[in-house]
Amino acid sequence: MINYIFRRIGYMMVTLAIIAVLGYLIVELPPGSYLEFEIARLRQQGGNVSQDQIKALEIRYGLNDPTYVRFFKWITGFVRGDFGESFQYRQEVKDLIGQRLAFTISISVFSLLLAWGIAVPVGVYSATHRNTIPDYIITVIQFLGLSIPSFLVALVLMVVAQRVFGQQVGGLFSDEFQNAPWSFARFIDLLKHLWIPIVVIAFGSTAGLSRIMRANLLDVLGMQYVQTARSKGLKENKVIWKHAVKNAMHPLIMILGGSLPGIISGETVVAIVMNIPTVGPMYFNAQLNQDLYLAATFLMFLSILGVLGNLLADIALAWVDPRIRFE
Amino acid sequence: MNQSSESTTKSVFEGEDTIIKVRDLHTYFYTDLGISRALNGVNLEIPRGKVMGVVGESGCGKSVTALSIMRMVAKPGKIVQGDITFFRKDKKKNDAIEEINLTKLEGMGPEMRSIRGAQMSMIFQEPMTSLNPSYTIGDQIMEAIILHQNVDKVEAERRAVEILDGVGMANPSLIVKRYPHELSGGMRQRAMISLALSCTPAVLFADEPTTALDVTTEAQILDLMRDLQKRIDMSIVFITHNLGVVAQMCDYVTVMYLGRVVEQATIDDTFYNPMHPYTSSLLRSIPHVGSHQKDRLKPIRGVVPDPYSKVKGCPFHPRCDKAMRGLCDVKVPGLTVVGKSHTVRCFLHSDVEEESTYVQ
Ligand SMILES: Nc1ncnc2c1ncn2[C@@H]1O[C@H](COP(=O)(O)OP(=O)(O)OP(=O)(O)O)[C@@H](O)[C@H]1O
Ligand code: SF4
Ligand SMILES: [Mg+2]
Repeated sequence: MINYIFRRIGYMMVTLAIIAVLGYLIVELPPGSYLEFEIARLRQQGGNVSQDQIKALEIRYGLNDPTYVRFFKWITGFVRGDFGESFQYRQEVKDLIGQRLAFTISISVFSLLLAWGIAVPVGVYSATHRNTIPDYIITVIQFLGLSIPSFLVALVLMVVAQRVFGQQVGGLFSDEFQNAPWSFARFIDLLKHLWIPIVVIAFGSTAGLSRIMRANLLDVLGMQYVQTARSKGLKENKVIWKHAVKNAMHPLIMILGGSLPGIISGETVVAIVMNIPTVGPMYFNAQLNQDLYLAATFLMFLSILGVLGNLLADIALAWVDPRIRFE
Repeated sequence: MNQSSESTTKSVFEGEDTIIKVRDLHTYFYTDLGISRALNGVNLEIPRGKVMGVVGESGCGKSVTALSIMRMVAKPGKIVQGDITFFRKDKKKNDAIEEINLTKLEGMGPEMRSIRGAQMSMIFQEPMTSLNPSYTIGDQIMEAIILHQNVDKVEAERRAVEILDGVGMANPSLIVKRYPHELSGGMRQRAMISLALSCTPAVLFADEPTTALDVTTEAQILDLMRDLQKRIDMSIVFITHNLGVVAQMCDYVTVMYLGRVVEQATIDDTFYNPMHPYTSSLLRSIPHVGSHQKDRLKPIRGVVPDPYSKVKGCPFHPRCDKAMRGLCDVKVPGLTVVGKSHTVRCFLHSDVEEESTYVQ
């Protein structure tokens, strides 16, 4: 098992290295970056000051160096925690993204927990009550969940929150807490704002996950070892949860490993609609404006998250399925 | 549940004591295609401490009979009629016999669960899929032991190792730590047998336990089962298609056709004095030692009717060479005792008929 985990971490490092190279190249490739634009502007101004500034920029970003040297400078800086400067915001990338990453990670984790917390029991229930009226009702709700786009759910929930609960929606804090120092009241205020994006992001995946859970569990319930478990005299609950559900989890865990990109893009839509300062919208803009270091840093962090997610999924998979452990 | 009198446990098999008696058992499956009448009035007796073979073509209800007695028929299946009586012998109470009507118990309820796995257990055809891939062999055997025997983990593991040793598994203390995929088919079937026997049941249902194994392994497993049956003094209900295996293993034979029992007899009577035309044709359809090359095997004419439709009269009459016009296609023969330890359901041997004229 330890070997297995180390091997996976090894693969993970290789994957990240490849992503770093490709990502950097892709972000840098198109001509007309912010930096070139800036230098052109300074040239026009002329004069010594501008010349000095251009020099400083050239040295800092190694504009006269070949691409691989620049990449090397960037990646060694990245590892040390120096992510470079955003051209757009004229700020250190480090200072720009910290809070946004934290919001994105917490929204993703909470919506994953919510989606799984609902999808697994619902899937188990509808599989064990196949072709009963509750199963039919669940099926209808699942299809609605799969077919309604998330921005629509976001809009509906915003209206409901505002009209019915009198909540101020959009953003992360109400006006009075916007710049207030952290306090319990501010935290509650944050939760009031966060539940909508969490529910919206969980909504779509819950439907899909519970469908998959149902289908898998139905397959597993037909397996001989489920009959074996019954033939021991175990309680039906134990037969289902200990002997069947554990074996029906594989596909769900594999999906979990790859679900981060989907969550980030879903999160982007919701964040734009609801005006929430998460990673999604800023990453989207950084790409649009070729804000090299900002975009590359986001790309690296999202990849690290994605690869970490996969690692956790691999470990979970090895835990439920001993056959993988011994590969 | 009451103390039974001598007469109720007296068997149709002479000199035997009945452990399970099934009367007029009907088990139906309510599927999208309609009602599949898998069991249609099964009557049979299982003798205590003996091996009884159950034979019959595919789909005649052998597995469903075992599952019904174990009360493990799951939706969309249901026992709709009939009685299953279990005569439970209590070793602690001077071998007193307690009569339990299993059809009155709830299939997944506590009483039935305390019987299942402890008093009766089952092994299945596919050793590859009958053990859970996610748990070690030891965990799976220990689960049954802990459930029924009120012992701690350490003791349960000790017993699991002991049982594995008893079924001839090499290195039992290593095997308990192994997962099913690390074992060969024959080893898995031994592990499955250990699991089934872990609480020394009174009845073991073996549903084609060797069909998936190669000939050598099959012979070893059959030897082992015979040996264990004597050691534990349990009844084995041996479901199989292989009449050769029946000849080798069984004391008695039950022949089923289309969800009913058509003949029950001793092993000798089954092979040398079969009374039901279906039993005779089953015997003609297998090769046997000493038969001449030119005696061609005779497959049974026709096919089994599907269990969704109704047949008037004797269910075997469309395929029977000896069918009597005006009788077999109108009336249903009843199961009657026709000799020492021999019951049959055929108008050639008795004129007992059933009230209804349709079987299905
Ligand atoms: N889960 C089920 N759903 C619907 N019908 C079923 C189900 N299980 C069994 N049956 C029906 O019950 C009948 C008897 O099946 P059973 O499995 O007992 O046959 P069998 O004698 O064991 O055959 P085989 O030798 O092929 O194992 C079959 O006609 C089958 O269609
Ligand atoms: S009752 Fe008639 S049809 Fe049925 S088996 Fe006997 S002879 Fe054949
Ligand atoms: Mg069967």
